[in-house]
Amino acid sequence: MHIPDGYLSPATCAALYGSAAPFWYVALRRTRKLLFTRLVPLISVFAAFSFVIMMFNIPIPGGTTAHPLGVGIASIVLGPWASILALSTALFIQAFFFGDGGITTLGANCFNMAIVGSLIAYLVYRIIAGRSAITSSRRVVAAALGGYLAINGAALCASIELGLQPHFFRTAAGAPLYAPYPLGIAVPAIMIGHLTFAGLAELVVSGGVVAYLQRANPSLLRFTAPGIPLPQEEAQRAARESGWGAARPLWVAVGLLLVLTPLGLLAAGKAWGEWTIHDFTSPAARQQIAKVSRNVAPPAATPRGLQRLSTIWTAPFPDYSPSFVRKPAFGYILSAMFGTGIIVLLSILSAWLAAKLRHGPAGADARTGET
Amino acid sequence: MATGNHGGKRGFLERTTASFVDALEHAFYAEQTARADGLLQRLDARVKLVGILALILPAAAGRRFAVIGGLFAVAVVLAALSHVSFSVLLKRVWIAVLLFTGVIALPAPFVTPGQVVYHLPWLGWTVTSQGLTSAGYLVLRAETAATLCVLLVLTTPWNHVLKALRVLRVPAVLVTILGMTYRYLFLVLQSAHDMFESRRSRMVGELTGRERRRVAAASAGVLMSKTFDISSEVYLAMQSRGYRGDVSILDEFQVRRFDWIMLAGFSLISAAAFWLGR
Amino acid sequence: MSTTHSNGPVPIPVFDVCDVTYRYREVMALNHLSLAVKPGRRVVLLGANGSGKSTLLRILNGLCFPNQGTVRFCGKPLTEENIQNDGFGLDFRRRVGLVFQNPDVQLFSPTVFDEVAFGPLQLRWPEDQVRRRIEETLGMMEITHLKERSPHHLSMGEKKRVALASVLVLDPEILLLDEPTAALDPKSASHMIDFLVRARGGSKTIVTTTHDLDITEDIADDCFVFHEGRIVAGGPPAQILGDVPLLKRTNLLHSHLHAHKSGEVHTHSHLHPHEH
Repeated sequence: MHIPDGYLSPATCAALYGSAAPFWYVALRRTRKLLFTRLVPLISVFAAFSFVIMMFNIPIPGGTTAHPLGVGIASIVLGPWASILALSTALFIQAFFFGDGGITTLGANCFNMAIVGSLIAYLVYRIIAGRSAITSSRRVVAAALGGYLAINGAALCASIELGLQPHFFRTAAGAPLYAPYPLGIAVPAIMIGHLTFAGLAELVVSGGVVAYLQRANPSLLRFTAPGIPLPQEEAQRAARESGWGAARPLWVAVGLLLVLTPLGLLAAGKAWGEWTIHDFTSPAARQQIAKVSRNVAPPAATPRGLQRLSTIWTAPFPDYSPSFVRKPAFGYILSAMFGTGIIVLLSILSAWLAAKLRHGPAGADARTGET
Repeated sequence: MATGNHGGKRGFLERTTASFVDALEHAFYAEQTARADGLLQRLDARVKLVGILALILPAAAGRRFAVIGGLFAVAVVLAALSHVSFSVLLKRVWIAVLLFTGVIALPAPFVTPGQVVYHLPWLGWTVTSQGLTSAGYLVLRAETAATLCVLLVLTTPWNHVLKALRVLRVPAVLVTILGMTYRYLFLVLQSAHDMFESRRSRMVGELTGRERRRVAAASAGVLMSKTFDISSEVYLAMQSRGYRGDVSILDEFQVRRFDWIMLAGFSLISAAAFWLGR
Repeated sequence: MSTTHSNGPVPIPVFDVCDVTYRYREVMALNHLSLAVKPGRRVVLLGANGSGKSTLLRILNGLCFPNQGTVRFCGKPLTEENIQNDGFGLDFRRRVGLVFQNPDVQLFSPTVFDEVAFGPLQLRWPEDQVRRRIEETLGMMEITHLKERSPHHLSMGEKKRVALASVLVLDPEILLLDEPTAALDPKSASHMIDFLVRARGGSKTIVTTTHDLDITEDIADDCFVFHEGRIVAGGPPAQILGDVPLLKRTNLLHSHLHAHKSGEVHTHSHLHPHEH
């Protein structure tokens, strides 16, 4: 997800540096206040750790691997602000020293991954974990979901930034100057990879590390669980048994999500929001739009803004029809998403069946965990 | 001894470990080249930082092929004068960028609307000139920017790059954090590498997917605990030598006439590139 | 300062540790421990790993503070508040230097030069003085050729020398060394020992922790034996090293199977002897 130089226009780069700056400033001040002089060694060593985590290849059901960001665990262990600093530091070194990600786009990458990622991970974790005990399996699920949504939130931001480029930045002849793919391609293309592979990697690392820490070093989880007492011996032993294993339903949920979302979108007919002007005027299409928009009828006249925008879009190329470009690509990608979801569900199912056959009906329940 | 291979494909431990080793090698090569006696190596780090950034910006922003190409040529000349091996540039930058950005740019000629210039025989896909232009921009920009950035890093000791950031008003505390991160990066890389190696040597046969994920998560967890232990100890060591929260940075930078001349050169090229590429 | 007692008033101990207890994660690291370190002496704290010696060194260096008991430095109380005070704190940090057992923790700067510069910069010395002292110290420790190197490229022996240099650059009167010869190859270890032996009779007070009995005799004027957070014996090194039951009781002596040239195999407790 590291955006290289040349993919974003200077205006976009500047805008994103500008958006990141206030967060950096606040993060520095907050962390200074919280950590005092401890700030420098803690952020530094943790940034080194984040960097290395980004190199881990996490196996995903289906037989591939993907790289996590580590933003989930960073936020959960350090809190969002220190996580912003640690991840930005790691991203800086990746960009400058290792050439992973651009320099003009460092602001954008930090905004997407370090800032948006950290905040989403922290908020989701806090909301879902609630006031549960530090060693409860609910925290593992909260961490896993936090990581998953964080990386997808980051990916969404990146895909929107990239997808807007060809709308605004073209040569006189109409060639895109920077990222060439419009929103309709960029968003699905990037989101698919993250909703599936990268997201699952992040989910595994976030949930897995929290589960590990619950057993091995629960005090590290205290910072984002204010007011909740550390467990006694018995509670820790209980955590050893549940933890990650009890999160099997999570895998099933993710698999179902991957399968149902494309189906849902396909079933709804035209992807919501991808309508053309014609759709606003043809009665059949209008009915469909109303159906998927909770029975709110679309406006009788084409929204003037849309009309104007679409003429800007189509004027130079009378033969060009947006749907030609978007629908086949979109449908293709949807089926990939669908396929991955099926693979995830099938592998969970087969592992469960295999366990059942090996250990008998009692054994299958005793063996916690998924594939 | 069997390792977690997946029918010939490298297992996740091997691939992760390979990334670690690659990072260590890159750093080693960078430190070596920085000590060579070339044009860029003799430059003051601050002039280099500002100068190269001044070239990257028009490369990323410019709207003319010729301008970006010209900047790329400048980068190549600087590389040659600084004893940066072309084969290394090829392997680490040019091919890597081509594989990454090239793959991303590949669909663009077929997908971008515009004037059709070619029809693919069997598939019937059309290639547009706007698409080709767009793909060209993407690849050329990425190559040029990456080459310039790598030049900076290969010809300057990393902590000089960091200290030079002060000239761009980066706060001292951030420069210190970056310096310490870089130093501990290799410690953590080594730790992780050793952990994975010892795990590989203890594995017989294949692990299931679930076991591999557990190994990955546990390794990350162990690494994180070590991270905290190290940071606590480092904190004590810093305090022991008088650290009270203020950071002072001592550099040995000196700007000589040669540096001023080069700075003028960089500014000239940069300004020209901006003007011509607007 | 002489190393023998003069006829004048008894010198104020550099460190006066009174009945100190320190607990760390349910482990009692120091258990009602008392100790006095006289100025100009070379003191060795003997003890097996985990006996509490490292913890005591950190307390002596004002890095952690005991749960109970008091510590005085040259007569003044060494407390968390006092260390925060700029006047006392900065003076203390200049006069007392601690070399950690694990040099990776102490070498946190990007290069050797930066590392040696860290202490003087923190003490706000003027820049030219800092540069001069760095050159002197690097030369003295024979590591000038390592000036621009990064710590992760150094061997263990080099790292320990840099760590020592980073402390010596401040010219402290009191040196605290935590296991200085641990993990060192014989050549580097011998350099370290030479340094410690040469410091005899000087003005520096040196407190060294170790579990290596062989070097104790060379580097110690006074010897204290640690066991489970307490000091169980103290005296001149010859006396301590001769007390075999004490050394066995505190895990400082080992017994293992021993094969002699005659083919006989037996066990007995022993020190590995060295020739003079």
